[in-house]
Amino acid sequence: MASRPLDTIEQVDLIERRRHYGKTSEDVPSVKPPLSYEELRDVIDLSLMAGQLLLQHGADTQKVEETIHRLGTDLGCDWLDILVSPNAIIITATSGAEFRTKVRRVSSLGVNMSIVTEVIRLRRRVTKGEVDRHELRVELKRIAATHSHYNRWVVVFMVGLACAAFSRLFGAEWPSFFVTFFASAAAMFVRQELNRRRFNLFLVIIVTAFVAGIVASIAPRFQIDSQPTLALASAVLLLVPGVPLINAAEDMIKGHFVTGVVRGITGGITALCIALGLLLAMALMGVRGL
Amino acid sequence: MSLPDLVLKILLDAFWSGIAAVGFAVLFNVPRNLLVGCLLTGALGHAARALLMNFGLSIEWGTLIGATIVGICAKWLANRTNSPSAIFGIAGGIPMVPGVFAYRAMISVLSIATATDPDISMTLLVEASTNAIKTALILAAIAIGIAAPTLLFQRPKPVA
Repeated sequence: MASRPLDTIEQVDLIERRRHYGKTSEDVPSVKPPLSYEELRDVIDLSLMAGQLLLQHGADTQKVEETIHRLGTDLGCDWLDILVSPNAIIITATSGAEFRTKVRRVSSLGVNMSIVTEVIRLRRRVTKGEVDRHELRVELKRIAATHSHYNRWVVVFMVGLACAAFSRLFGAEWPSFFVTFFASAAAMFVRQELNRRRFNLFLVIIVTAFVAGIVASIAPRFQIDSQPTLALASAVLLLVPGVPLINAAEDMIKGHFVTGVVRGITGGITALCIALGLLLAMALMGVRGL
Repeated sequence: MSLPDLVLKILLDAFWSGIAAVGFAVLFNVPRNLLVGCLLTGALGHAARALLMNFGLSIEWGTLIGATIVGICAKWLANRTNSPSAIFGIAGGIPMVPGVFAYRAMISVLSIATATDPDISMTLLVEASTNAIKTALILAAIAIGIAAPTLLFQRPKPVA
């Protein structure tokens, strides 16, 4: 009977927290068998793994929080308190009167939508009760180990084509289109090589923008058509941090200001690096007027 | 512009922006069977924006409406394919991302450092801030548009 007051406090606490977060009552069934201390450790570890995979590979903060919360409660916790910061996730999982907390450092590894998709699908299967904790651990490890399923030359070709498509959207003529294609494809190749050697993120961007600028400068240098600078403007678009910038704005709309601001600044510095590389290339090639 | 010309222009816009969306989707390692969806949202959003801008709407408002169309399509496609809507939303938003505005702003900022004439510095400063403001507004429009279905229809319900 000694534990009675504590239970009541926990229960009141839970109701208050649900109100505060505006979660629906379906998120937290009111009666759940309490998990043991070891089970709780397992659940928090698995939720943290899933959250880490999402945050590392370009999901927005709301998605990370929701997925961790659903995963933890579906695996038997009463509640999870989650703090997603740009480079770490902190979770406290509560079950009955027990709770555990864990922090994990997260570093951004570049966008990988396959991993995001697989983690979300896995979470849905857990909700349906098709996957237990052991299977979940195996699956998460498998997902974390998957590599890009596109051949690197396919990526080089498609990225070149995408930037060339942008040049057409800006109104470039066919000669500039082809120059853009080769400039971006070459830049993408250089980017892959530098990333593989684990150079500093911003250094890679400057060098890649420089390479794209040098190759694309052929167009204005030899005046191959009426608007040759469009090749220069489009060739560096492969570096534009589209996903961090969209995520930054989306995070801020949904109230996650810390991650939003950090992602926005990352995007801004990336744009600055692109400008640096491009200016250097233009100065070397003696091209003016972008 | 006559009607057939306009239709051709919008179709070409849709074609090239669809290609751009798929190219970036490959870079972001989107699963193969979802690439068609990325093509669709990319083409639809950018073409809608081009059409609206053709009728005299500003790029910011055009982007907001185009991105809302992308957001609605992304939700629909996500339900059909059992995948997160963020994939289609981001792929559809990528062709509209103001990349050129972003680094033009930065180029102007960097050029201020080497400008000798105060008049030129002034012009560069105005250019930099114009481009930066455009970048921020267009990005906000993309994000609001993509998030619109969630913001409007998936609000948290109060706990009884």
